[in-house]
Amino acid sequence: MTEFIQTLILGLLIGGVYALLASGLTLIFGVMRVINIAHGALLILGAFLTYSLWTATGLDPLAAILITSPAMLAFGWVLYVATVGRIRSAPVGASVLLTFGLALVFEGVMGLIWGNTSHSVRPEYFNTSFNIGQVFLPKGQVYGGALAVVVLGGLYAILNYTWLGRAIRASAVNPQGAELVGVNVGAVAALTFAIGVASAGAGGSIVSVLYPFLPGSHYQWIARLLGIIVLGGMGSLPGAALGALALGVAETMTVTYISPAWATAVPYVFVIVVLLLRPQGLMGSKLREDVATA
Amino acid sequence: MLKVRWLALFALALAALTVASCGGDDSGGGSGETIKIGASLPLTGEFSEPGKAARQGYKVWEAQVNEQGGLIDGRKVQMVIKDDQSNQNTIVSDYNALISRDKVDLLLGTFSSLLNLPASTVAERNRMLYVEPAGGAPELFDRDYKYLFFAQQATADKQGEVWANWLTTDVPENERPKTAAYPTLDDPFAQPTSEGIEKILSAAGVKTVYRKTYTIDNPNLDAIANSVKASGADLVVNGATFEDGVGMVRALRKAGYTPDWFYQTTAPSLGDQYAKAIGEKTTEGVFYAVSHSKDAKTPGNPEFVKKYQEMFGGTEVPEDAADAYATAEVLQAAVKAVGSIDRDKQLELADWLRDNKVDTILGPLSWDEQGRPEGKFLVGQWQNGIPEIVLPDEAATTDKIIPGWKPQ
Amino acid sequence: MTARSGVLRSPWTAVIAAGFLFLLLFPVASDDTYYQNMIMLSMVFAIGAVGLNVITGYAGYVSLGQGAFLGLGAYTAGILSNDVGSNPFVWMPVAGLVGVVVAGFLGVVAMRARGTAFVILTIALLFLVQIIATNWDSLTNGTSGISLPLPSWSVDYQNWPFYYTFMALLGASLLMSWWIRRSKFGMGLIAIREDEDKAATVGVNTPIYKIFGFVASAVFVSMAGAVYGYYIGFTDPSGMFNILLSVQIILSLLLGGRATLWGPVLGAFIVEPLNEISNNEFGGGNARLLIFGGLLALVVLLMPRGIVPTGERWLRALRTRGKAGLVGERLDGRIELQERAPAPAPSEAAAEAGPLLEVKGLEKRFGGLRAVDGSTFAVPEGSITALIGPNGSGKTTVFNLIDGTMTANAGEVWFAGRRIDRLRPWRRAHLGLGRTFQITRLFRQMTVLENVVAPLRSFRLRQLAAGAVSGHEAERAQELLDFVGMRKYRDQPAFELSFGQQKLVELAQLLMLDPKLIMLDEPAGGINPTLLERIGETIRELNSQGKTFLIVEHNMPFVLGLCHPVLVLARGQTIARGTPDEIQEDPKVLDAYLGEDFRLEQPVEA
Repeated sequence: MTEFIQTLILGLLIGGVYALLASGLTLIFGVMRVINIAHGALLILGAFLTYSLWTATGLDPLAAILITSPAMLAFGWVLYVATVGRIRSAPVGASVLLTFGLALVFEGVMGLIWGNTSHSVRPEYFNTSFNIGQVFLPKGQVYGGALAVVVLGGLYAILNYTWLGRAIRASAVNPQGAELVGVNVGAVAALTFAIGVASAGAGGSIVSVLYPFLPGSHYQWIARLLGIIVLGGMGSLPGAALGALALGVAETMTVTYISPAWATAVPYVFVIVVLLLRPQGLMGSKLREDVATA
Repeated sequence: MLKVRWLALFALALAALTVASCGGDDSGGGSGETIKIGASLPLTGEFSEPGKAARQGYKVWEAQVNEQGGLIDGRKVQMVIKDDQSNQNTIVSDYNALISRDKVDLLLGTFSSLLNLPASTVAERNRMLYVEPAGGAPELFDRDYKYLFFAQQATADKQGEVWANWLTTDVPENERPKTAAYPTLDDPFAQPTSEGIEKILSAAGVKTVYRKTYTIDNPNLDAIANSVKASGADLVVNGATFEDGVGMVRALRKAGYTPDWFYQTTAPSLGDQYAKAIGEKTTEGVFYAVSHSKDAKTPGNPEFVKKYQEMFGGTEVPEDAADAYATAEVLQAAVKAVGSIDRDKQLELADWLRDNKVDTILGPLSWDEQGRPEGKFLVGQWQNGIPEIVLPDEAATTDKIIPGWKPQ
Repeated sequence: MTARSGVLRSPWTAVIAAGFLFLLLFPVASDDTYYQNMIMLSMVFAIGAVGLNVITGYAGYVSLGQGAFLGLGAYTAGILSNDVGSNPFVWMPVAGLVGVVVAGFLGVVAMRARGTAFVILTIALLFLVQIIATNWDSLTNGTSGISLPLPSWSVDYQNWPFYYTFMALLGASLLMSWWIRRSKFGMGLIAIREDEDKAATVGVNTPIYKIFGFVASAVFVSMAGAVYGYYIGFTDPSGMFNILLSVQIILSLLLGGRATLWGPVLGAFIVEPLNEISNNEFGGGNARLLIFGGLLALVVLLMPRGIVPTGERWLRALRTRGKAGLVGERLDGRIELQERAPAPAPSEAAAEAGPLLEVKGLEKRFGGLRAVDGSTFAVPEGSITALIGPNGSGKTTVFNLIDGTMTANAGEVWFAGRRIDRLRPWRRAHLGLGRTFQITRLFRQMTVLENVVAPLRSFRLRQLAAGAVSGHEAERAQELLDFVGMRKYRDQPAFELSFGQQKLVELAQLLMLDPKLIMLDEPAGGINPTLLERIGETIRELNSQGKTFLIVEHNMPFVLGLCHPVLVLARGQTIARGTPDEIQEDPKVLDAYLGEDFRLEQPVEA
């Protein structure tokens, strides 16, 4: 029984971090209907930046978020203007192919700069756990999860209680209508993309402590994120949170009760099953292009 | 008009073919004095660390051989090294290119069983001797290849043999572990090693209470550590490479679980890196196996270590560099004995190796019919922050063996 | 590459023939295994890209999983030749079969997901296959992989068996691609790409077409995979199911040009050497990622059509500079309306005949909005029935419910004595239901003739195999184009036509189905009076041949002079039915739609 509870707790803890990572991706999809396959690579980039900061200055990785987030925000803006923003009206699959190409480019660049071996950020205190009875909560996961919840909460607050948030939501629901009421939809789109990338960078800082990473890790991460937003519903923040917890628990349960080797398949199974059976996921808008309405 | 166009294009095609056929020269070496030796190594990609170390080993050998007057007939040696990026398709093209474009006289192998598998096939098809430094997966040798040889003491499934035998015969029964857990990386090297150990231990009554495989991109080590803890095993055998090995140790510490005995592959043999990664105090008592020790008194070893440190600096000598050097030593021995590097003598070189023993910095190496080496690995243990060799006695650097894992 | 230009005269044919000859003789002329290897791998990519072209280029379903078929073929050959024995060449057809089965499954998946969702699915499936191959090690030997046997032939023949097998497979793939492009089946695939729902309404059984398409895309690639595995000598999950392989294949296709015959081959012969160069000159896996990732991004951003189509476009622009397009030409003189005896007006008898189409209590809700709210009416056989009503009354929605584009929330639709509201759109088309759209929906990238050939009257394999540019189907299409007066435009791409011209072509399309009931959605909208007259004539002519019409229209003189009976729809319900005169007097109708002051100033021509 302890093993079960422990597994559950580990799954929920990591789910919190997943939620932060997925929030950016689902936000981007919600506003511009673009699936940013490069999101995994961007989060790894955040992890590498954190790593470099830590090895050079000893800066605590969680504190590094204050540096990586703004940097990634700017980078995201530039990226949007240079690439993604140009294909808004392109046909099917174009955004997937483009962002896939970008992901590969990022992987290559990271490999050239940092090499292709595993890296990890290892501040001392991350080797210990909080203990509650028989159950252990690794400190890294707890701090990371707490921070993720804070950032996620901030994101949610921005979306729902600020003018910018309203502008974003309006652009998501009805771009032409938003233009008509004075929202600069192009700039809002760029900003949303930038925010999404910044959240990936922040998530990357947290991930750098929890898991070893190398440039090629982005595949597994984007797989997880896709699984999460497909399950939770593309475009829905609460859906992303739910999906993230579900994936975290499903993964850890698979590791314990089936085999770690099959745990890597869990995100893909999520994607396949959900897209085939209930494409809008738990709480989102349909991704599946269906019958045209008259 | 039409006819002229067709005629012109056909003429063009024929011209191109003629040029192509001129480009293909006759086979066999003969680039004058220098002997070209080709190899493709993973200098980038996931195996880049050991790949680069292997390259260093080859370079040390190249420098020494040339200083001593060349390989045979006073001919100097030139290594032609390509980068296969840790990718199988690339390594196939690379070895094809080495053979038919660079026209190397001899081949040397690459790092990792995954890469040596396809590369050795290219060599075998082209009937060239292929000695490799780091591909110990048993599959390599189930194919009845005639030109393939592995230059370490034994294949992967035997890596833990010396240690496992010691544990089950020299350690008194009441001090032995009763149960064992085997979390293993899915890897053609780590798996057979772990399974080899399990075979010996379970035959001696050590019960397996956990055996699961994880992949390199599934870093869910906390959950695995949790399961291992729940199994209550006295011994944990972790078949791993570097980063996941480190991660496993940290995960066990986080879970608050310290098995009495701990054996790990690869990671503990990486010296300072390992100690820094898990903390020096945590290393105390960790067992591992290794093919080379820089303090061993094997023939040529002190000279090799000196030359390595001269060329590349530092105090530590990576195991993979030593393995590469030994591989080149094996090739050198065969060439010297047969006295030729001609393409049609490659089979003779191979036959000679099958019938003879070669003294290398790893100790004496000899092979069976399929290219499997028939020696014994060294067993190491971290003591006081220093990786010592504890078995076999001839190679040991200390008399003491700590009975189990004692992290502080 | 149209079939019309004299194949022998085209300069490209000479180039291709020269290239073919070069490739054929290369291994004999030169024993340089490095270049042989490069050519062979280029051919493998080409086989993959040509196959992918069927489903991605023609049918528009972007798949990032094509590389998986190479892997499946390689594993099949490896497992069988090791466990059962014999040469991997022997197992090549089995590899093809395995590919076909998996591709069929993919086709089934495509029924449930389109567009971006489909691409994501293919990525997920590729990774899942890789994981299965890794974990199912009793079958596949897991990460250690499988070694294939050494070649069984003399060293003197080197790589010839591999080389020529790849050439043969490439040739077969190209032949298949060429044949598909010229067949009705191919037209259907392209129709699916251009407008899948419209394709369904003209009788294209989209699920089956897609499955066939996927099977065609996979069969030769899987066989090539078997040979590829034999050539490399080794197969393992990370090598064979690598996403980079799929990226390179789709890049070959995108770069060379989707939906062209030679584009994928050209692309492959650029991508593979680029691969080699980035290995050797820039020495690094990272350089390769940069190059291919960057190239993919650049192609999508800057040259999404690919080399061959872009090149063709430039050449066409050069050749036709200064000339007016056919479409913009003045029509010669006055329009010749075909001289024929004016068709009789639909008789009273026709208006009272038994119903061909019956709609009972149809309901359709969009969220809280009831677009169709219990509509009931009947269309008598042989009549020209009108459906009129204010904007937003649900007329087009009713059409959509009848032809199957939408599913009703409640109610029944009966056609020729059969209940059809549960049937898929193409089944309804096969039963004899044809429909035009308010805003014309032609298959834009296809020519006018191809547009008319695409519809499928009934699902029979021989029909699918029929030629699209020559042969029986094409002749019939040309006849129909004659009938609507669009013969001169048969080779124009549909997107270049004017609105009125498109309407005529859409009509020809649905006539291809030989329908019993023709539903026209605002046929008079946005066209000039002369054309309108012609359309009216055409309707009467077809009606006299026995076809029933249901017409939605706002142009009252047109409607009331042509149709009988007239149905009136308002707020989702049928509020009136009667002759044109009755309708004009009906107070309910005046209130809802026509307005108190509405009276036709001239008497309506009977």
